Amino acid sequence: MADLSISGLLIRFVLGGLAVVVCTVVARRLGEKAGGIFAAFPAVFLAALLTAGLDLKGEDLISQSIVLSKGAMIGMGINILVAIMAGFLLKKHGWKKGLLEALGCWFIVSMVVVGVTTYY
Amino acid sequence: MKKDLFIRFLLGGTAVMASYLIIVISPWEILGGIFAAFPAVMITAVLMAGISSGTTNAAKIANGSVYGMIGGIFCAASVWMFLTLTHNLTISMGLGLIIWLFSSILVSSIKERISKEKMIKTDNTKSKAAFAKSHLRNAQ
Repeated sequence: MADLSISGLLIRFVLGGLAVVVCTVVARRLGEKAGGIFAAFPAVFLAALLTAGLDLKGEDLISQSIVLSKGAMIGMGINILVAIMAGFLLKKHGWKKGLLEALGCWFIVSMVVVGVTTYY
Repeated sequence: MKKDLFIRFLLGGTAVMASYLIIVISPWEILGGIFAAFPAVMITAVLMAGISSGTTNAAKIANGSVYGMIGGIFCAASVWMFLTLTHNLTISMGLGLIIWLFSSILVSSIKERISKEKMIKTDNTKSKAAFAKSHLRNAQ
């Protein structure tokens, strides 16, 4: 179990909240497609980098940030797949069932990817 | 309007914070790894769009987020590249964010242009077929 950082929690709360608000405002003014781009704002990735910036300094910070960036690329790859699935499932089964199914897809794909990268 | 945005802010923030809490509290390392890339903002945005304006708009948000996620890969790759070049986190993050926005918009407009060209081609084929049919009928 890792250590809980209050600053990490706050940074995530602010970035996550702002991303959803910006997504809503952009969707209302420019359409849902443009709003969707902001729904994929890399809040979790940026929050992880900012938290690392608070806890580490110098070369440790740079090497930790590079590790985070590599991990984020894999995570984004999974999320692209999930977003494509969500767009398809929501249209097919309605937003409630479609969103639940997309979450299920995300969980299974992530479990496989994390399992493969951890144990092989 | 302001109250609605405030509720969305609270929900979005709570979702991202909760995924971090799962990473920290989870006794299983694998669960922490899975939630490290949880698309909390996208899920919240789609959920809120579903509640407020129904399936069609929620699906549009999900489709739009694909471009943002593709931009996210460019963002992470560029942060990695700029960190190696400059050894400065603030500059690398700033440039990464700019690249995220521009690459997302670029991918979205390229996809839109391809779809439009496809539609024009289909329309042209349909009108050519209709013209040929009417020509044939007149000849008969």
